[in-house]
Amino acid sequence: MLHIENLHIAFKNRTEETTAVSGIDLTLKKGESIGLVGESGSGKSLTALAIMGLLPKQALLRSGKIVFKNTNLLALSSKEMNLFRGQQIAMIFQEPMTSLNPVMRCGNQVAESILRHQKVSSKEANAQVISLFKQVNLPRPEQMLRSYPHELSGGQKQRVMIAIAIANNPSLLIADEPTTALDVTVQKEILELLDHLRKTKGMSLVFISHDLGVVSRVADRVAVMYKGSIVEQGLCSDVFTHPQHPYTKGLLACRPPLDSRPEHLPVIEDFLHGTTELKPTNEILTRNPVDYQLKGLKPALDVTNLTKSYPVERNLLGKVTREMKAVNEVSFQVFPGETLGLVGESGCGKSTLGRAILQLIQPDEGTILFEGNDLMHISRQALKATRRNLNIVFQDPYSSLNPRMSIGKAIMEPMKVHKLIKNRKERLTKAAELLERVGLTAQQMNRYPHEFSGGQRQRIVIARALALNPRFIICDEAVSALDVSVQAKVLNLLNELKREFGFTYIFISHDLSVVKYMSDRIMVMKDGKIVEIGNADEIYYHPKSEYTGKLISSLPSLTSTI
Amino acid sequence: MIRYLTKRLVYGILVMWGVATVIFFLFNILPGDPARMLLGQRADISSVEAIRKDLGLDKPPFFQYLQYLNDLSPVSIHFDGDGEVPGFSILSASTWQLVVKKPYLRRSYQSKRLVSSIIGEAFPKTLLLAVTAILLAMFIGLVLGVLAALNHNKPLDRFLLVFSSLGMSIPSFFAAILMAWVFAYLLAEYTRLPMFGSLYSVDDVTGEQYINLRNLILPAITLGIRPLAIVVSLTRSSMLDVLSQDYIRTAYAKGLSRFQVVIKHGLRNALNPVITAITGWFASLMAGAVFVEYVFDWKGIGVVIVDALEKYDLPVIMGSVLFISIVLVFVNILVDVLYAVLDPRVRLE
Repeated sequence: MLHIENLHIAFKNRTEETTAVSGIDLTLKKGESIGLVGESGSGKSLTALAIMGLLPKQALLRSGKIVFKNTNLLALSSKEMNLFRGQQIAMIFQEPMTSLNPVMRCGNQVAESILRHQKVSSKEANAQVISLFKQVNLPRPEQMLRSYPHELSGGQKQRVMIAIAIANNPSLLIADEPTTALDVTVQKEILELLDHLRKTKGMSLVFISHDLGVVSRVADRVAVMYKGSIVEQGLCSDVFTHPQHPYTKGLLACRPPLDSRPEHLPVIEDFLHGTTELKPTNEILTRNPVDYQLKGLKPALDVTNLTKSYPVERNLLGKVTREMKAVNEVSFQVFPGETLGLVGESGCGKSTLGRAILQLIQPDEGTILFEGNDLMHISRQALKATRRNLNIVFQDPYSSLNPRMSIGKAIMEPMKVHKLIKNRKERLTKAAELLERVGLTAQQMNRYPHEFSGGQRQRIVIARALALNPRFIICDEAVSALDVSVQAKVLNLLNELKREFGFTYIFISHDLSVVKYMSDRIMVMKDGKIVEIGNADEIYYHPKSEYTGKLISSLPSLTSTI
Repeated sequence: MIRYLTKRLVYGILVMWGVATVIFFLFNILPGDPARMLLGQRADISSVEAIRKDLGLDKPPFFQYLQYLNDLSPVSIHFDGDGEVPGFSILSASTWQLVVKKPYLRRSYQSKRLVSSIIGEAFPKTLLLAVTAILLAMFIGLVLGVLAALNHNKPLDRFLLVFSSLGMSIPSFFAAILMAWVFAYLLAEYTRLPMFGSLYSVDDVTGEQYINLRNLILPAITLGIRPLAIVVSLTRSSMLDVLSQDYIRTAYAKGLSRFQVVIKHGLRNALNPVITAITGWFASLMAGAVFVEYVFDWKGIGVVIVDALEKYDLPVIMGSVLFISIVLVFVNILVDVLYAVLDPRVRLE
């Protein structure tokens, strides 16, 4: 039904052309689903956009054919293509937050697609929308009709997107990372929905994802893309159990395993250069549960009854009448040298907690004792001095570096502010050392953030956090924006640094598999409260609360299907 | 929503009070004596004193201030000796009563006319001129801005950019004279437009007043040039921003035509910054466009203020400034409500 032949796409800027997709061949039968797997920049989204005829302006189709039901889509005019788009081929995009028009009611956005392709009255269209909303399991469909996108949760928005996509019963559905921005439990529901719809409507599905686990849940076949070409394709079960291409092997191996904890995660380069073979079980780092209190250690960080609330409603006089407790009477301890993992879904308060500890947000109540000092009640100077020992690495390496400050300056700034090293020359030496320590070179000192990739930027942010020789680092979703292969490298770096300098970490993430790999103990948060806290393996294998169990069962792991 | 409006209205009243206070003290500590301005340099002391007494200038400043506020306030105290009651009496005491009345802006020192009637005569003209100029700027500007965005980096876009920076930088007194010279003098034969004139013209034969909208054309266009240029460039950049958003891609994925996508999904989202600019300009144009009104002899509020300043006619100046600030407060409340209507994400709280 869909046949892609020798597709070449290039990106053009003023001076040069870079190849983005080089010679893809792909065939999809009716009712079949194929997973396109690859990391950012592998050309998987571009391939999908080429099928839709929605390539960005800078992208040039060099050659190739995309044949859909005996029509070469690439030879059609944009008017002719409009009859296919939304009618026979539909697409779901990655970001449900931004993919819906914010000033248009959800019902109208779906009805628009129906009215475009079917000759029905707007009343009939609305009736269809309600039935579509029921099909995608949206609660209160009649009310949703009149809701605006910002009134819906992320998962609900993605359901509206799916309703738009299936509105005209397309025979081909393209889903581009449809669950990447969603929580695992929501992701599971959406994947089940997509699978169900595909089977009942007999649609073919192209499912694009960077996450092998997710793909293995919905796809019959999988095609692995690397640097613009398909390096391997075949049945899901074959590819994932017996990968042939070194890249596929690397991609599979660099995910933090759930059942073991190697000291060092393998990275893709190892496989591509053939330097190492898979030795998964050799160097398992066993972590014996440590009872810190028994060992008589004093906690490095002792948080009691920490509360931070935000006003939701105010009355006429500006007095708060209703508030949302982002962090609700949270108490825990972190011991020197340990890594405490903090997991929870979006909005559970984990980032607020991290920032409140650092006093980047002023908490309402509670005490935070860091090495015996009460951070909420010490003088500003004392707080400043404490900040040297307590540092944070933020989630988004793109926005946490000042774009107009060279990375050398960014790393030296904290040293200068804290008067740690007063001599400029010494600061330069130190910055160079740090850059080399995180795997960059001292020559890159005068470059600006935009010249680096996401993974490199996160290394720079880590180097900046190290600049003050801290003892305690809070990693707030530090690897969430990165590809798995890059994530493996950054996780390795964090572990190496820990071994070298004896850091204490609070590792915040929504990804339970990463947290489990990194942490000695895990703390699970929900709605501002701590649901459970305990030894990492114990939480994973014997969760005490229902919520933790749900989180674990929603994890898209390969082992569940193979 | 209603709570929000009440809150804004209360703030608005506070702002008015602040403005009244500032205006009062500003004009009362300035050097210059209105009584002398009235009588000229050679007036004798006794008549100056008489005038000062007549205008209440002999009383202490704080008393004058209270008197001023009492005149302005819709609910005010009226003493029995002060002539007839100006409005409804709602509460009576032995020597005074509480009165609900129209704000009293006093009389012009010069012409002895009521300031409220001077403003009432001039303001509609200014309003008409401002509305026409803004409507011109908005409609032409939106169309040109969208065209520029759709032709990003093509000749049309470049031309419109040059045009708009030119429009933004041309001073209004120069633009006014240029427009008058070109369209009402050089090309007068074809355009048949008058050099100058106000909303009302007097018929040469019968001597009757009639509304002459031809006089509106040139000043409105002149006044619209700068807002137009700004609307073009804002619409362009806002539209470019919106067109790169994900939901535009979603709209194309539905199979909608380019026109539908641009109008239904693009323009609606691109409007907010444009609205801000337009209303900002609208508000400032309502304060009177002095140069344009002067050049075209359009007898609006700008001209009234400048004339009053020359003659040191305090009540007229104070009244007009106060009036303009009321207009600004209301326009701002209106803009906020308009925002909430255009963008459901904005909640009025």
